[in-house]
This record gives sequence, C-alpha cells and structure tokens, in this order.
Amino acid sequence: MTNPLTTLLNERQAHFEAGATTPLPTHYPVNDLAAQLHPETQYLRITNVVDHGADAKSFYFAPATDMGTQHLAYFKAGQYLSVRFNIGQSQVTRAYALRSTPKDALDDCYILTIKLVPKGFVTPYIFAHWQVGTVIASSGPLGQLTYNQFRDQPHVLGIAGGSGITPFLALAGALVDGTENFDLTILYGSRRHDNILLGDELTALADQSPHIKVVNVLSDEDYPGYEHGFITRDLMQQYADLQHTSIFVCGPNALNAYVTEQVAPLHLPGGRLREELSGQVPVPETDVKIPATVTITVQIQDTQQTVTANTREPLLVALERAGIVVPAACRSGECGWCRARVISGQVNTPRTVDHRRAADRKFGYIHLCAAFPESDMTIEVPVHDLADQFG
Amino acid sequence: MSEQYDVIVIGAGNGGLVAAASAAKLGQKTLLLERHNLPGGAATSFVRGRFEFEPSLHELASYGPAEHPGGVRELFDWLNLDVKLDPVPDAYRIINTGKDGFDVSMPTGIPAFIQKLNAEAPGNQDAINQFFALATESTTVFQALFSDPTKLTPELLAEKYPNFVKYGHKPYQTVLNEIGLTPKAQEILMAYWCYIGIPGDEFEFAYFAAMVVSYVALAAYVPQHRSHEISSALVKSLQDNGGTAWFNTEVTQLIVQDHAVVGVKTAHQTLYAKQVIADLHPNTVYSHLLQPDQVPQSELKKANARKLGTSGFLVYLGMNQSAEQLGIHDYSTFIAHTWDSRKQYQNMQQLNDNGFMIMNCLNIAEPNCSPKGTSILYATQLFDDPSWNHVTPEDYPRLKDQLTEHIIATYEAATGIKIRHAIEEIEVATPATFARYLRGPQGEIYGYYGQPWDQMMARALSLKSEDEPIPNLHFCGGTGFLMDGYSSAYQSGYMAAKLTTSKLNQEATVK
Repeated sequence: MTNPLTTLLNERQAHFEAGATTPLPTHYPVNDLAAQLHPETQYLRITNVVDHGADAKSFYFAPATDMGTQHLAYFKAGQYLSVRFNIGQSQVTRAYALRSTPKDALDDCYILTIKLVPKGFVTPYIFAHWQVGTVIASSGPLGQLTYNQFRDQPHVLGIAGGSGITPFLALAGALVDGTENFDLTILYGSRRHDNILLGDELTALADQSPHIKVVNVLSDEDYPGYEHGFITRDLMQQYADLQHTSIFVCGPNALNAYVTEQVAPLHLPGGRLREELSGQVPVPETDVKIPATVTITVQIQDTQQTVTANTREPLLVALERAGIVVPAACRSGECGWCRARVISGQVNTPRTVDHRRAADRKFGYIHLCAAFPESDMTIEVPVHDLADQFG
Repeated sequence: MSEQYDVIVIGAGNGGLVAAASAAKLGQKTLLLERHNLPGGAATSFVRGRFEFEPSLHELASYGPAEHPGGVRELFDWLNLDVKLDPVPDAYRIINTGKDGFDVSMPTGIPAFIQKLNAEAPGNQDAINQFFALATESTTVFQALFSDPTKLTPELLAEKYPNFVKYGHKPYQTVLNEIGLTPKAQEILMAYWCYIGIPGDEFEFAYFAAMVVSYVALAAYVPQHRSHEISSALVKSLQDNGGTAWFNTEVTQLIVQDHAVVGVKTAHQTLYAKQVIADLHPNTVYSHLLQPDQVPQSELKKANARKLGTSGFLVYLGMNQSAEQLGIHDYSTFIAHTWDSRKQYQNMQQLNDNGFMIMNCLNIAEPNCSPKGTSILYATQLFDDPSWNHVTPEDYPRLKDQLTEHIIATYEAATGIKIRHAIEEIEVATPATFARYLRGPQGEIYGYYGQPWDQMMARALSLKSEDEPIPNLHFCGGTGFLMDGYSSAYQSGYMAAKLTTSKLNQEATVK
C-alpha cells in the first residue's frame, strides 16, 4: 500500500510546480487602505493663512504632492496631528488638533489653528516662518478625543479653554455635515468677550445645527449674554444632566484638573470624563532631592552619545535639544511612541502621567516624554530607521 | 565583506523573537530588527484609559502546568523567561443560535470533557471514546512533529504509527463521520477550527484532534500582563544572552551575493550576517526585499500556488462593571447561527452576515487584569478575501461601527448578558489595523491558508527540504511549519534557530 503521507508530499510538490510564474503583487487593497488611513508621514503645503488677532493664526494645508503625499488622511473629528519641526539644533514635535472636518480632508484640506505662546519654543518659530507655500511634515491623524456611539452618551458636554477649542470645531463641523450624530454642548472658557478664539466660526456652526449649543464662559469680565467665572459643577449642571452626559475636556492642564475635581463628588461611571492630554507637558514630582542636571548616555542602534539633561524636564526634551530625532507624538505620556529602554540609572514617571504597559514597568521601559531623570543614566532609544516599504 | 553578525533576524513577531532569543542562547551573535517600536507583532498590548488590552492571544497552547509541562513551557524555561501565566479555567462555551440551537459549556480535563459531551449529545459514547483514542495517538505524533519534524519521514511514521498514517491527513469532519458521531457532537467538537482558519471538511484530523486534546488535557494559558509580557521577556532573554534588538528599524532589502543571502539593508545601514531568519510573510520578502531576478523560479511558483491566510476583526471593550456584575462566567464563548464550518468560512468572505464570533472575558482567567469593579472583553471575527477589498477611508469608521453593533447585539441576544450600558473604553482592530502594524499582505494574521496539501503534516515533513529557499535565508512565524498561532510561531522560531545553528556549526567544522 502506498503511504498516504508520501502521496501528500508528492501532491504538495505537484501544486508548487504548477504554480504561476507571474510576479507577486506589490500592492494589496487592505494594505493600501491602511496606508491611506495611517500614513507614516504627511507632507503638507500651506495654501492660506488667516489671522485671528495678533496672537492666533489658522493655517490651511493641501497635500504636498511633489513630496509624495497624494492625499490627506481621513480621520475622526477630535484627532490631532503630530507636527515635526527642525528648529536650530533641535528636532521636535508638537501635537495640534485638526480643527477642520473629516469631510474637508476628503477634499484634501486640513486646518490647524495655533495660538502664539510668546515665550514658547515652537509657536514663535511657526509665526515667524510658516507662510503660504511652506511645506511641513506631520504624522497621520492620532488621538482619542473622538465620539464613539457605544462608549459615549448621546449628549456630550465639551469643555474647552483657549486653543483647546480646536477639536470641538472639528466635532461641531462633523455634526453639521452629518458625519457624526450626537448632541454637543460646548462650555468654552475665554478671558474676554472680544478675544474668543474662533468664536465666530463656532457660532456659525451652532447656527446650522440643532445638535450644537455654545456657551461662552468669560474669566476676566462680566458681560451681558455670557457666563462669567469658572466652569464649575453648577455651571455644568445648568447645561447638562451630568448623570447622562459624556464630558470631553480639552485645554490647559489646570482646566483638566479643575474639571476632574469638580465632577469627582458625582461619582460618575468610569469613562464619562474624557480628556485630551496631547500637548500637556508632564511636570515632575518634587519630593526627591536630585541634582539639577545629569548626564544621559544614549544608545541608538550601534552608536552611543552623551547628553546633559535638566532633571526638571522630561528626558524627551533633553534628547531633542541635543538634536536626536526621537519618535514622539502626544508628548503627554499616553501614546507610547517615545518608549525607550533604561539600561541603568534612576528615573521617575509621575503616577498621573504613567500610561505605560504593565510589562514595560516590569522590564524597565519608559515613555521619554513623561520620564524625569534622577541620576546619570544609560538608555536605549529606538530612533527611526525607516523607509516606507509599502508606500 | 565583514560578517558583523552570525544571525540577523528580521521581524520581532512571536517567531522572530524566539528565533533571536534561541540563536543567542545557542551562542550566536544575534541582531533582531523590528520595524515597529514594540516587540511581538500581534503579541503586544495597548492601553486605553485604565485598561490594558490583549490584542490577539486567546489561549496559549502547549504550555501546561509546571508538573506536566508542554513544549512551550519547556522552551520558555530554557530561555529563562521572567513571565507568569495562568490557566484558563474552562475549555469553551459554544452557542448555536440557529435552528436546533444549543448552548453548551465544555470543561477542561479529558474525563470531564467526555462526560459533558455524552450528556449534551447522548448516544455517542462509543464514538466519543474512539475519537479520544484516535486524538490521543494524534497528539503523540503531533508532539513529535512539534518538537523536531526533521527527525521524521513518512516511512518512519508509517512504521511507528500505522493507524495514524491512515487517518491523520483525512479531513477532521470525515473522521468524525466515519466514527459515527452525531451532528450535535460534531458541532460541539468543531469550535477550535477558527484558531487555524481551515473549515472542518478540509482541516486534517491529526492537527485538529491534537489541538482539542492539548487544550482540554493541558488547558490553555494566558499571561498575567497580556502578550506584551512574553514579548518583552523574550527581548530580555535575547539581551541577557548577548544579543541586540533594534526597534523602529525597517529592513528594506536583502543583500544577495553569489546567489546567497549575506546581509540586509535598512534605510540607513548595511549589515552583514552569516545567516538571516525572516519572520516575515514570504510573499513580502519576495516582492519587497529582493529584486525579481533574485527570487528563485521555484519559490515564485510556490508563493503563487499558496493562498493568503485569514484576517480578523476585533472589538476590545473596557467595562465599568466586573464580570460578576455583568453575569459573565465564561472565558471563551463561541457563537454562530450555524455550526457548519464550511458555511461559517464562506460567510467570512463577505462584510455582512458573517454570523460567527468569539467573545472572551479576560478576567475569568486573569481576575486582576483590570481594576477592581471593571472587566475586559474582546470579541473576534475572522474575515477573508475579498471582504475588505473595496472599503474606502470614508466608509471605514461607519463600517467599524456597523460590525461592532452586530457583534454586541449578537452576543447580548445569544447569552442574555447585557453589556452595552457598561462600556467605558472601546477600540476596534480590522484587517487594515493588522496590515498597518504587522504588514502582512491583506492584513493576514494566519500566514498561508491551509490548503489540503499545505497543512501541518505536509509543512512539517517538508521543513528541512524547504529550509533555505535561498542559501542562508530561513523563515519562521505564522507562515511556518505549524501554521498560525502563538505556540506554533514560537516553535517555528526555535526550529529556525536550530537549523541556522546547525548550519553554522557545520560550516565551522568544514573550515
């Protein structure tokens, strides 16, 4: 009797020998979809700049087709781009929420609205250098401050401070054009009634949809038709039944902290309070006696260099100052792009910004943007050595 | 030409991680290159809010208890991995929501499993005993093939296991029919087909039956801190044995000299090695890392003759209630409106009416995997070509919601358990997600589909003859000789390291 397994192996060979000699595909529909949704890099050309007073500008972008970006990636309203900068010796990234809608992206338009931070490192550079024709590099769309029908309540209370309004512009726009479907009430904190960033644009959107309500809250003046003071629990309750509302917060650290504290006594079910952390720079815990600066030995592939780090700043900043192109996106401890390995030395990740995986804590990995050195250290940083294999 | 490394491993998926860690342990100077910033491929984790999710592992097979270790536990111990795994308490709950439906929970332990199967599908006693007798013999052979198939040939197997050789490669369903199992008993025994993605009328008995015995007798295991714990421990093992891992590093090209692979190029580096192990889909290597004239004609024909494996759609749910509060007692619940696996398989080729899903509750196996008063659920569906081919970016978010809605509604209706009100975090992975992170063609997660001549036995018995399709190039991972799955990929990595090392040792002897 013939051995069935020998027959099987012969059958296998016969199928191989009968195989086609046509070249293998270099593109597949599902991989192409992934590449469209999640480009490694997007090259964006500024097509228009709109001033909002002296200290804020909107930049309109189209794909820089000559650089290889044919179309802009689609996204969920509320997401951000991590924009890459080369300023002096430093290679840095900053997260900016897209304030244009997903539908605009299908027409190859993104808009970022950026507020000048006079003593900041990046925004003065933007205001001095970005003009019509400038090409910038960014990530694909990232971030979680998006509406999800299974997770979020049908009514969302958006709480924004200053330029934290930008993701809500995108959410409101997506409600107007029907991409999203929920009720959005925005409590928007500004200083005075005459310097509300994108206030007119927001009002115009609210006028087009019964699902959008905007409440301006002024901190520095009491003006007719506006709320005045802090965004307190009472104020929130005035505009939303908090037991049946999802709260989205985007603004400075202090606003997030304040809202968290205000709603704590309500013991809302988990997940009802969602904060956009991107751009919020972690601060170190202060209870340890450590030197002001330390020396960090950085291993990148088979090379090694040393940099000086300020112990009051995240390790990411020290590396960027030294011109190391560190992978980074959210800069708030959350996304994990700047994950690196500690080989030796002491480092602290403040509990509130520790979003690391459990095994990363166990095996000595850190997120550089949320890690503060406390001694001389040796770390291994996976700087990108990528070519876009499927691009 | 300077040989900087003995072995370069491309890709830190399960196969590549074990290949690199094993090569280093066997004394080779080893470099592991991974495009992503994390090890593991699908064996990773991600954090949303206060939850850390398991992306892909359902049940680690061949691990077993310390006193009766399976091959994977022995491998982990040999590599000195600092990991903690716990057993999954029960085998599975299987629900048929169609006509003549049923809802059965199967325990682990062979006597208990047999007893339950007899109770649920009466009149099968002899057939069930016969099934387990054949399955146990299959397991013995499977273990031999698993640990080192290069020592086995069809002749040796025929001599040692004449009975096995007769039925081992027959389709699982054919054998179940021949031993006279009733349709209901067959359906209950069909649950695991989806782990390999070959319907029962085509899936060879030897592997399927060994899988049933392995899960039922040795139980399945899951790591305490998601798969990322195992992947990270494997990186540490590599480093402890003098090896190196570079992340965010993409290999763009294999360097070929005199028809042999001698190294790799990344975007910025040229690296030479005596041997290269690719934990990549061979189609990717042949279409992206080599020039067309460098791909042997036989390999091109082989790649074209094979069929891409299945991809998946997963919904990850962080619940703001505990499993107990929600009324969930089962780790794995398999739900379908038909348990005809051929129909289930056909339905995976379309976007609507897929009709088959698995729901896992991680807290049943790992009670502390999420904060007190919360739980982690994840639902899995499989999708195959051409279901996702015409999805556009604009459709994509809507389609995710539509499929998620279907999964939640199906689970709630089948089990009577309400989950919708307690969803605190949600994330969804689609074939495009797998294509994004794993980069397999069409987002496949199962390597090559197991056509009848391309399943475990044919691959295992061909391992040695098909190794080094180009001199110095070896493959491992989900396309490997044990097909897809964690334990299979781990073992394929170990075998690749062994074959590589024995080649290096031979060369050293010759020199």
